[in-house]
Amino acid sequence: MSAPTVRSGSAWPMGRGSRHTTPGRPRVPLPRPALARTALLVAGVGLGATTALTLTAETASQFTAPGGPATFAGNLTGMIGTYLALVMVLLVSRIPAIERVLGQDGLVRWHRRLAPWPISLLAAHALFITVGFAQAARAGLWHEAGILLTRFPDVLIATIGLGIMCLIGVISLRAIRSRLSRETWWMVHLYMYLALALSFAHVIVLGPSFVGHPLTRLVWSLAWAGTAGLVIAYRFGLPVARSLRHRLVVEEVRPEGPGVVSVICSGRDLDKLPVAGGQFMLWRFLSRGRWWQAHPFSLSALPRPPYVRLTVKAVGDYSAALAGLRPGTPVMVEGPYGAFTRHAQVWPRAVLVAGGIGITALRSLLEDLPRNCSPIVLLRASRREDLVLGPEVSELVKNRRGQLHVLLGHREQASIDERDLRRLVPDLHRRDVFICGPEGFVASIVDLVKSLGVRDEAIHHEAFAL
Amino acid sequence: MKRAAWYLVAGAVAGFAGVLGFHGRGAPAAQSAAAGPGAAGATQAGSSAGPSPASQPGQASQPGQASHSSPAAAGGGAHSAAGATEQFGYGQLTVDVTVSGSRITNVTVAVLRTLDPTSQRLSTQAIPMLRSQVLAADGAQIDGVSGATFTSQAYVNSVQAALDKLHFK
Repeated sequence: MSAPTVRSGSAWPMGRGSRHTTPGRPRVPLPRPALARTALLVAGVGLGATTALTLTAETASQFTAPGGPATFAGNLTGMIGTYLALVMVLLVSRIPAIERVLGQDGLVRWHRRLAPWPISLLAAHALFITVGFAQAARAGLWHEAGILLTRFPDVLIATIGLGIMCLIGVISLRAIRSRLSRETWWMVHLYMYLALALSFAHVIVLGPSFVGHPLTRLVWSLAWAGTAGLVIAYRFGLPVARSLRHRLVVEEVRPEGPGVVSVICSGRDLDKLPVAGGQFMLWRFLSRGRWWQAHPFSLSALPRPPYVRLTVKAVGDYSAALAGLRPGTPVMVEGPYGAFTRHAQVWPRAVLVAGGIGITALRSLLEDLPRNCSPIVLLRASRREDLVLGPEVSELVKNRRGQLHVLLGHREQASIDERDLRRLVPDLHRRDVFICGPEGFVASIVDLVKSLGVRDEAIHHEAFAL
Repeated sequence: MKRAAWYLVAGAVAGFAGVLGFHGRGAPAAQSAAAGPGAAGATQAGSSAGPSPASQPGQASQPGQASHSSPAAAGGGAHSAAGATEQFGYGQLTVDVTVSGSRITNVTVAVLRTLDPTSQRLSTQAIPMLRSQVLAADGAQIDGVSGATFTSQAYVNSVQAALDKLHFK
């Protein structure tokens, strides 16, 4: 492993001429909350329509026939479960217009919150249908299950799909997931696309809402095809296009503190990269053993063409090994993502709170906020050495005539409490509160400021999953 | 968060009402589509085979005909009615029954939808036999076709439902 190149002095490499050019301000598309509301409305319409389609496919005599109620319950759970699965995919397809409003972490939170529903509904669907058909045929449950699997078209592969889905659901349970590495979990999670593809055919061929209803069948197919298109465009197409355009390579790796390094990358046309302070990107370093995984890291400063900088704390094998990145390593990027930006402001002034490595996002956000936001910055770290980028933040605060408060000490002893906040930020309820750091830290500060009467719209946060 | 829920609910209500409204308007078309032969997995089968009973020689009852009620055309005391749609595990079956006086003069299959080709074949084989049994028995008390138990059961149930509608004893 080669020693990282270390340069002292400026935060940016010397040379390449552009050190004194003002940071390019690419035009960052503004978040439009109306679009997110429209999306929500459309999602609701889909849910209502799916439910109604199931009802209209049912007749009274079918319902009262033997096995009717169970079969109907099976149809309903199947339709709604499949629809929710579609919404789940859309939530992680990173549609930029929605992502800008809710942020990647917001979307993932919704995705996670919704996840148990489609899986359990679809499992219930399989069970209900088997029970209903067994009752109608006056056959045993296992016998009927065998008939469904062997005699009905596409049911076998759909059942395999459901099996994969349930398996992924199980490994995503918190207790099990925490024992898996992020990469393993993520790779397995990708099989969900396969599971959904496998189950698609039996819906169209056997679903009572689709058999003999060419229009419904068309709309349903188009919805899924459109979703697949969005996933391909925004999870694959856009990142590849962006990476090819900017052609980032590692320029320099420099230590910032114990276990913390900054990676400076250089690239082309970075003044055209639509990034706002506080955002993060998924970074894929194309070197042996790393190329197959992309990890989210915050930009720790606004890009200064031809450079961008990310700052990483070694919390796992992957981030620890980044110190050994060689200059010249090509980099692919996804993003920028995140709604933790100046566009979220609802008040002219702001208070910024960061715990631990959260300081990286705070640093670039602070740089990007309007200069007259009279920022109050609260930093929490275990030790002074852990206060990475401290001098840079201090400089930015000074330039903006703000205040900087640092809390050092162990998490329990030096937590930010109500008294601190009231004393340090007397006008708290007339400021935006930007919080970033580890999940637990963010959650506790969010609760705290809410209890002090700060409205939801004024609270903005980005949690780092460690 | 609260407002988000309202958007979702409003959308759901709109979508629900929209589909129901559309369905209500297009109901006849939708039904005929459901029974139509063009739909994959759904096939309409007429009980074409099977000997026609000679009991009513003047009767113009065409096998495979699925008219719901045409007593005038059938002349005299002929009445017909559609039986209930029966689900029989592998599909759905609806029959139309025509009676004249105390005789069942014709049974046709209005809708036969099966979920797989094997069931389709079994059902289409069994239905002509079931038809002749019903015509011979002048009622729904028949033995059925062995090997097609579910189809037989559905056929009998649907015939009985139609006979009940016609107050046929």
